Amino acid sequence: MSAKVKISKESAQKAEAIIAFQGYASLEEMVEDLIQKEYDKIKAGDNKEELAKKLSGLGYIS
Amino acid sequence: MMNFLNAGASGKRFVILGFDGMDPAVVLRLIKRGEMPNMKRLSDRGVFTMMESSLPPQSPVAWGTFIAGADPGVTGIFDFIHRNPENYTPMFSQSETQPGKWVVKLGKYHVPLKPGKVILNREGRAFWDYLQDRDIEATIFKVPTNYPPSASGQRTLAGLGTPDILGTYGIYTLYTADVNESQQELPATNVYYAYVDENNVMEGQIDGPKNDLVVPEDPYAEPEAVIVPFKVYVDFTHRTARIDVQGHEVLLAEGEYSRWVEIDFPLIPMVQSLTGMVKFYLLQAESKDKFRLYITPVQISPAHPALPVSTPGSYSADLAKQVGLFHTLGLPADTKALSNNTFSMENYIVQSNSILAESKKLLDYELHRFLGRKQGLLFFYFSSLDQGQHMFWALNDPQHPYYHPDEAKRHGYITEEYYREADRIVGRVQKALPRDAALLVMSDHGFAPFRRQLNVNSWLAKEGYLALSAGSLAAGASIYDQADWGRSRAYALGLNGFYLNLSGREGQGIVTAAQKRPLLEEIKAKLEAITDPKSGEKVIRTAYISEDHFSKNWIQRAPDIILGFERGYRINDDSALGVLSAEVVEDNLSWWSGDHLMDPRRVPASFLSSFAINRDVPRLKDVAPTILRYFGIDTPSQMNGTSLI
Repeated sequence: MSAKVKISKESAQKAEAIIAFQGYASLEEMVEDLIQKEYDKIKAGDNKEELAKKLSGLGYIS
Repeated sequence: MMNFLNAGASGKRFVILGFDGMDPAVVLRLIKRGEMPNMKRLSDRGVFTMMESSLPPQSPVAWGTFIAGADPGVTGIFDFIHRNPENYTPMFSQSETQPGKWVVKLGKYHVPLKPGKVILNREGRAFWDYLQDRDIEATIFKVPTNYPPSASGQRTLAGLGTPDILGTYGIYTLYTADVNESQQELPATNVYYAYVDENNVMEGQIDGPKNDLVVPEDPYAEPEAVIVPFKVYVDFTHRTARIDVQGHEVLLAEGEYSRWVEIDFPLIPMVQSLTGMVKFYLLQAESKDKFRLYITPVQISPAHPALPVSTPGSYSADLAKQVGLFHTLGLPADTKALSNNTFSMENYIVQSNSILAESKKLLDYELHRFLGRKQGLLFFYFSSLDQGQHMFWALNDPQHPYYHPDEAKRHGYITEEYYREADRIVGRVQKALPRDAALLVMSDHGFAPFRRQLNVNSWLAKEGYLALSAGSLAAGASIYDQADWGRSRAYALGLNGFYLNLSGREGQGIVTAAQKRPLLEEIKAKLEAITDPKSGEKVIRTAYISEDHFSKNWIQRAPDIILGFERGYRINDDSALGVLSAEVVEDNLSWWSGDHLMDPRRVPASFLSSFAINRDVPRLKDVAPTILRYFGIDTPSQMNGTSLI
């Protein structure tokens, strides 16, 4: 899937700054990466059982 | 008595043996009985005293303090478990995994152009790096809170905090022909029914990591785990079995624990795979319906590490080449298997002894190498005392609600035997070391009974600090389902503390900056007044308000209050992950019956040295400045401990 989105001039300037500062090669790369990060956050938040399973191996938690 | 500072500038050697959980009261008792002659000799030459642990006295916190020579405010490690304040999610404090970046699709595979990595969350510079600045070699063997190992030119091997290849802290596998056992929901376990066919063959699988390189047909589906099949040919007459896995052949008699077997998990066939290793333990091979096979968590192989476990990266493989494969999991003894009754006491002891034997072999190798140098430091860590005391405490504690007189008769000797074994290890090192070398034997905390447990979330709910949407406490419910964050002022996560629901910090925080301190004072007073309804005893000795006790560097990660429990009490393990229980204080009915998650003044660490020190009661954070001083290095500004010499 590809999609075009419109953003304000101010946001475009901020995006350029992020690209330069973080070393992204392109706007597409930055957007892909930020979407992935947000997606991972949601997954982490929804995945508490998985986290509990991981942590339970510590022994301190049943 | 040896005086460091009079020793020559060259030829300085220092050995530190770290016995996690070695309790000074037990050491003293055994010394008095004449059962720890080597520790006695060491203390006669130098010092034997108790040492102040960290706040809280949890191993990752304490060893982090040891590494940085500073309090947890500098290391940023305050508990085994921290939380993400944005969404209240618990997370492992010591490290985090960052996924690969910039993924491209190649056929049916996703290939990250920038691979994922694991980040160490411990802050502050390690003492061994200050030694490196002066070209003083150090070998740091399995110190906790160093996974992945921080970048260093020194030889370091990661310890507690090192996960298995699945990224967990130890998920084992059990194949059992007992239908009831196979249907149990056990924590930290993969349990399968063992079907042994008419030819006495059982087919099984070892579950590997989830393969997120494969493009799933359903984009919302979880990636599937890579599995490796194996076959077991059982001889019930002789109670033996042959296990065939990936061309390896393992022969076991009933009750026998295997060697390490490396397993390759293919991610992209012929292109990319991950190597792990397991041991098999044939628990029972009596008949088709009395067959049980245990498989360890899939550990990172030191010979082919799938994740970084050493500096330099080749160090673990070099060691494996010299002494054979060895355990890498941070907490290697499978306490969970004993808690789940998958292991009997005997099974656990067999595994624990095997781990200890590997450690001794590695120590011998490293000690030999160390003695070939004129100058340097060797730190070597042992986990067996800690894990053993967690699991065996109730055997020697008739007041414990999980005291089993029969088990006590059979295995009550075991804890003290671990101490005597520690003493024999000290004796081996003493014998090998020249007189002018310094020796320090230390622990990170002591030990105490864990008889009763406090569910802090349930207490907060009953006191009205944690608002529940259902209105009343439901055992087994989680704060994630029940908490009404818009009305909650506090919540607990982790093993020693809890947090205010602070506005501007927590995702749905309501406590203002002005309300913070008075609220902390109010809760502290109430916590310190809690008594056990069963005995009338005080449950919490001191509730420490974090901002009064830690350096400010990383205090934003700290719980707002650290609970200093009295001996005998600990946080309820459900509460640590946000689960509620109907009773606020309950019995601990588990083999995990000893603990140290208490007030540090109730579980001091041990300090035995070949040299004199300048404080009656040293602090854990003083050890790193002492090491540096021994090698002529002034205490760096980062460290707030002080040299003991």
